[in-house]
Amino acid sequence: MNKPNPLFDHQVLQTRRQFFGDVGIRFGGIAMASMMASQLNAQEIEDRVHPALPNLPHFPGKAKSVIYLHMNGGPSQLDTWDYKPNLVEQFDKDLPKDFLGNRITTMTSGQAKFPVAPSKYEFKQHGECGRWVSSLLPHTAKIVDDIALIKTVHTNAINHDPACTFVMTGSEVPGKPCMGSWISYGLGAETNNLPAFVALVPNFPNGSNAQALYTRMWGPGFLPGKHSGVVLRAGAEPVLYLENPPGVDRSDRRAMLDALGKLNTKGFEKFGDPDIQTRIAQYEMAYRMQSSVPELTDLSQETKLTKELYGPNVEKPGSFAQSALLARRLVERGVRMVQIMHRGWDSHGNLPVELGNQCMDTDQACAALITDLKQRGMLKDTLVVWGGEFGRTVYSQGKLTKERYGRDHHPRNFCMWMAGGGIKGGVELGETDEYSYNPISDPVHINEINATILHCLGIDHERFTLRYQGLDQRLTGVEPMKVVKKILA
Amino acid sequence: MVQHTFGVSLIAVLLVVGPHMNRTAVAAPQTVQTEISFNRDIRPILSENCFACHGIDAEKREADLRLDLPEAAVGTVDDNAAIVPGKPGESLLWHRVTATDSDEIMPPADSHKKLTDRQKETLRQWIQQGAHYQKHWAFERPEKPAGDGIDYFVQRALEADGVNFSPEADRPTLIRRVSMTLTGLPPTIGEVDAFLNDKSDQAYEAMVDRYLASPRFGEEMARHWLDVARYGDTHGMHLDNERQTWAYRDWVVSAFNRNQPYDQFTIDQLAGDLLPQPTQDQLVATGFNRCNVTTGEGGSIQKEFIFRYAVDRASTTAQAWLGLTAGCAVCHDHKYDPISQKEFYSLYAFFNSNADPAMDGNAILTQPVIKVKPPDYDTKIKEFVDREAALQKAIQEKAATVVYSDPAELNPRPPVQETETVWFEDAFPAGAKVNAPGAVLVDEPVGSGSKSLKVVGAGLAQTFYDKGAQPLTSPDQGKFFLNVFLDPQDPPEEIMIQFLTKTWNHRAIWGADLIDWGKQHSTERFAAGGLPPPGEWVKLEFDVTSVGLKAANKVNGFAFTVHGGTAYFDKMGVVGQLDPVNDPTLSHTAWRNAQTGKDTPGAPSDVNQWLKEGPQKERKPEELKRLRDYYVSQVCLTTREPFAALKSEVSAVNKDRTDYEQSVPSTFVFRDLPKPRDSFMMIRGEYDAPGEPVTPATPAVLPPMKQAGERANRLDLAKWIVAPENPLTARVAVNRFWQQVFGIGLVKTSHDFGTQGTLPTHPELLDWIAVSFQQNGWDVKQLMRLMLTSQTYRQQSIAPTERWVADPENQQLARGPRFRLDAEQLRDQTLFVSGLMVHEMGGKGVNPYQPPNIWEPLAFGGSNTRYYKRGNGDDLYRRTIYTFFKRTAPHPMLENFDAPAREQSCIRRDRTNTPLQALQLLNDVQHFEAARAFAQRMMETAKTPEERIQFAYRSVLSRLPDKEESRVLIEFFNRQLAKYQATPDAAKQAIQFGDSKLPSGVNEPELAAWTLVANLILNLDEAIVRN
Repeated sequence: MNKPNPLFDHQVLQTRRQFFGDVGIRFGGIAMASMMASQLNAQEIEDRVHPALPNLPHFPGKAKSVIYLHMNGGPSQLDTWDYKPNLVEQFDKDLPKDFLGNRITTMTSGQAKFPVAPSKYEFKQHGECGRWVSSLLPHTAKIVDDIALIKTVHTNAINHDPACTFVMTGSEVPGKPCMGSWISYGLGAETNNLPAFVALVPNFPNGSNAQALYTRMWGPGFLPGKHSGVVLRAGAEPVLYLENPPGVDRSDRRAMLDALGKLNTKGFEKFGDPDIQTRIAQYEMAYRMQSSVPELTDLSQETKLTKELYGPNVEKPGSFAQSALLARRLVERGVRMVQIMHRGWDSHGNLPVELGNQCMDTDQACAALITDLKQRGMLKDTLVVWGGEFGRTVYSQGKLTKERYGRDHHPRNFCMWMAGGGIKGGVELGETDEYSYNPISDPVHINEINATILHCLGIDHERFTLRYQGLDQRLTGVEPMKVVKKILA
Repeated sequence: MVQHTFGVSLIAVLLVVGPHMNRTAVAAPQTVQTEISFNRDIRPILSENCFACHGIDAEKREADLRLDLPEAAVGTVDDNAAIVPGKPGESLLWHRVTATDSDEIMPPADSHKKLTDRQKETLRQWIQQGAHYQKHWAFERPEKPAGDGIDYFVQRALEADGVNFSPEADRPTLIRRVSMTLTGLPPTIGEVDAFLNDKSDQAYEAMVDRYLASPRFGEEMARHWLDVARYGDTHGMHLDNERQTWAYRDWVVSAFNRNQPYDQFTIDQLAGDLLPQPTQDQLVATGFNRCNVTTGEGGSIQKEFIFRYAVDRASTTAQAWLGLTAGCAVCHDHKYDPISQKEFYSLYAFFNSNADPAMDGNAILTQPVIKVKPPDYDTKIKEFVDREAALQKAIQEKAATVVYSDPAELNPRPPVQETETVWFEDAFPAGAKVNAPGAVLVDEPVGSGSKSLKVVGAGLAQTFYDKGAQPLTSPDQGKFFLNVFLDPQDPPEEIMIQFLTKTWNHRAIWGADLIDWGKQHSTERFAAGGLPPPGEWVKLEFDVTSVGLKAANKVNGFAFTVHGGTAYFDKMGVVGQLDPVNDPTLSHTAWRNAQTGKDTPGAPSDVNQWLKEGPQKERKPEELKRLRDYYVSQVCLTTREPFAALKSEVSAVNKDRTDYEQSVPSTFVFRDLPKPRDSFMMIRGEYDAPGEPVTPATPAVLPPMKQAGERANRLDLAKWIVAPENPLTARVAVNRFWQQVFGIGLVKTSHDFGTQGTLPTHPELLDWIAVSFQQNGWDVKQLMRLMLTSQTYRQQSIAPTERWVADPENQQLARGPRFRLDAEQLRDQTLFVSGLMVHEMGGKGVNPYQPPNIWEPLAFGGSNTRYYKRGNGDDLYRRTIYTFFKRTAPHPMLENFDAPAREQSCIRRDRTNTPLQALQLLNDVQHFEAARAFAQRMMETAKTPEERIQFAYRSVLSRLPDKEESRVLIEFFNRQLAKYQATPDAAKQAIQFGDSKLPSGVNEPELAAWTLVANLILNLDEAIVRN
């Protein structure tokens, strides 16, 4: 008698379910037959807990996994990447009226003046590419030849909640799946012991102006709940409910799962419902996670050299540095998508102090992640993305001195960078006007960034759709969006 | 074991027993001519492949061709028409879909759409047969088809597929299925026994009726509707602060328990406020359209959010009641359904005059809100009013007996007196909360009484109080005095006294002006002179007016302050002049003069008014008497003392009343602005791009709406939704209830009855139930009863695996429903069988166990839902519907088990199966503690291990275990018992997980072992699903 293989059956069932999804009745006989063919192919699909959709990837992608470094709050492009040396002469002069436009937040729309606040930071050229980088990012400055900088990203939203929702789900209105969920849904993951999609929410400097995060930023929207990002938490219990209750050890659980498995198998024999086998498989997966997750978060196997690369905070649970190292360990183990959401970039008031702390908290680890991946030969198939939900205004919000200024939200242009799988290093895309207020060449919509991320993974964003509420829903929204070809390797 | 492989043999099985929905397709090979149905066969092809460019959306229309309307698509050869009936060869459509040239072929390559040969053939046959169009099925009014009962239609479909109903499930399975369906809880053993022992023909129906009558019914039904209504306990955006609108949630529970007809249920929620003399309940019901997420984020553009809220409300209404995904028409004409962008905005116009603001203010109550008065509210308030009136009467009666003569009317005139009031002597005033770092009351030196206050500071030092004591009153004129002794060894550079009214800005200083508080040369910082000589007691004095005090100021605190040295302070107070003739607290005449032209706080409104008008105005004798009575009882220092007891009783009544009124919650209601906002079509769905103006109206594809007034309002809309001729409402409703009962709707896309939705698997059955529902007065309990008593529902959910694979969602209905319980049901079942559940209904959401750092790492710093404050006691064990719902970070139990975040309307939940679910059910303290409580019940109720396992099985699964199951569990029990006997500390830890108390004298290793058995039983697949 063949022993059923729950993982395999689970996979077949999922494949089968996709065919009996919403499309059910629209399939005629021929579609039925083609479905049969894919049933046969199902045997060739390896036993994966997180299977890919049968038709994905659309083409061989350069990247296998994605690490998305989300700088929540809106980092100032003017003080990091978008060098505007001529603004020094404009200090405290009003931004010309024809630049201002009418879509500005009500936090500054009532200001009598819109005084230009030049960056107080020194910019220098770095790398073979000669990239201008501010003194706030000394470590990232060292890896500029590996990254593609886009200076003209723009978004639709001007407030945090809609903008964060937009950057992560391609829509300002809550309810859509986030990018990681789409990717998990489309490509599954290589690991059988860890989730396909993991989110990390590190801590951030005291005193920074932190905005809220929303579970919808790693939520599945209308996709099945299993594509939700699993939050890897700082501290003793990295995954919710991972630990056995007190007084219950691993051997107790094994004995219990053995008994449970026997009884559930009996149930399967009675009812015939293959979902029972899936359930047995998921309980076994849970058991495996109880050891695979602690193994993942145990950093004692990392060399001193590696840890030094990420900086002293790497030992602190919940730090950005440790999250970055965990991100590498996650993709190393076959996790498809890792999202790190670092808060505190909303510098309305005392920008130099807050932004300084923010950069200090992240700069070294961002650079370390690229270097570490590269040293291990993983950068070529790991896509790393860095950016916030919008940029910041050239004019000061509130009191302006040379040393102290604030900046309001600015959706018209901001900087993001990408590196690794599928991306050409050392390039820069897009120019902004003299006030960093509008793109003057190569504007890139946030959904074009998203289209590009999918492209690097071998997914054509226009064909990667799911019918919901009468629409072929996709990550990149209903408007036409293009892949940013100029930064592709 | 059933062996199953997915090879060639399965194809054969699939072809034979494929679900009903595919019957037509499977049974109709390409070469055989069959009657083509537009709705069944053609519309899906056109909708999927053609309408995006050749449909209703005028903006995206290509080649000016519409294929959705026969008059636009069908014509003759001479017209060069797309479709020439009967002549595929002459039809442009046929040529284009079969073209091989990449410039010619339709759909074009860049659409990523491709027709299969089968679809092309179907199109050809349809044209051949005359190209008959049909209106989309769901827009035609349902006719009640011939036939009777659910089973009649299901059986006909099954027969056509060559299968039969499965046998009826056994009674234990049935009662658990029914109980779970109707109450979300498993049956008790007593209920199971009663049903098993009921030999009457109507035993099953009677059992169903018992659960329909349970108050748990409303809770289970409400939870599904609350997903539709997007109900939450927070605003949902940005700060995601708490909002108080749970009275709406409780209203939904009660509406189902009262069995409110569905049409009334609809009208109350959409337009309760527009009904004539709406009841409180009807207003509470309008909270439905206040449940959408709102923002209070600084910087937001108001217009943008007003627009978004109206879009949400219009879309939610269309989806919840009409099954229309009208939201697509926000930005453009609906590509697939015949709803134009203008029609969407006409629907939106019903909701665009909302009175609630764009910014929720992050407040717990955002207007408009109403108080939710309990039924005895008016009685209670009347009691307070009566009690106060009785006391006032007593005061008046007593006042009439008081002898008072006004000093102003005496002859000779009484002399002016001097009075001294001491504020500090040996102690601060009674009750004062003194803040005295480094200061003490000392015995030496003392200027007066027995103590003095020592204040020492190298720099600034002070001793003060700012709360706790009764306020003090200074006279309008007069002098403050205080006694000071400066330490000759350490004389200070400056001393200061300060008085607190609303602010501390009443200061007198002596010596160097070093303390930089208040404005110099003003009453905020009055320089009263140089420092007194050290080493002796000196009395210092200054005018009351010099520090800006007068009788109207209440002094709530004072401070003794030094700078750079040591000072002793003693006896401080105020000396005032008292003139009985001119003092309002002694002379009635002086009082009336003083209050002329002013308001008198605390006085009744008539007294206040008469005082304001002044003594010159003529008053009736009874008015004068009332003024005098008020004066002697409330104001006059020489007469008011005896009234103190009565007055404190009045204050007590007032306090009780205020407390009571504050304990009555409020809730969000929907209301329109007095003058409606103008509504426009918004170009590309942008809030700042108004186009053509629109007025409230319903889509033309549906029957016309009757309107009562000149401008249609929400009440017209609500009545139109439930009008008998509306083709959608009843179908959408019964389909949703069907989904609740059977796990999946007859229309699988229960949120979408438009042309992009799936077709009903059993169209006649759907129409039959829908029309019956309307005819039976929209009676929800009757509808539930109809479904639950059908043979279709009562089938066993046992089938060969091949059948499950062929029809995983049971759309064919050839077996009973079997699917995983919802999040709430899982938690509630565990709490219920453990005996821990607290059945209290309604009220503010509670915070049960939740791991740390679910809210905290996400929330905005200023949010009042940043920190999760776990509840205690009963709060841990309430039904899950009462768990506080924070929308940006829902409880992990809900999130793990596919509950929506309630950020937007959700008509159908997924049912996934993940390892995180396993971890939660195994390890969550909520579940593990309940397993222990359940184990206690097992040990208390039964003696032998076999009996205990029987009890557990009957509690959770309603059935007995078989021998093999018992054996496996006892084996596991014995293993755990041996382990815990060997490691008693581990046993102790295991049974102490959670807050609930352990019984005394328990055998700890045994309880721990049974706890693990209980934990296992609650994790059985059979326990997690509804069989």
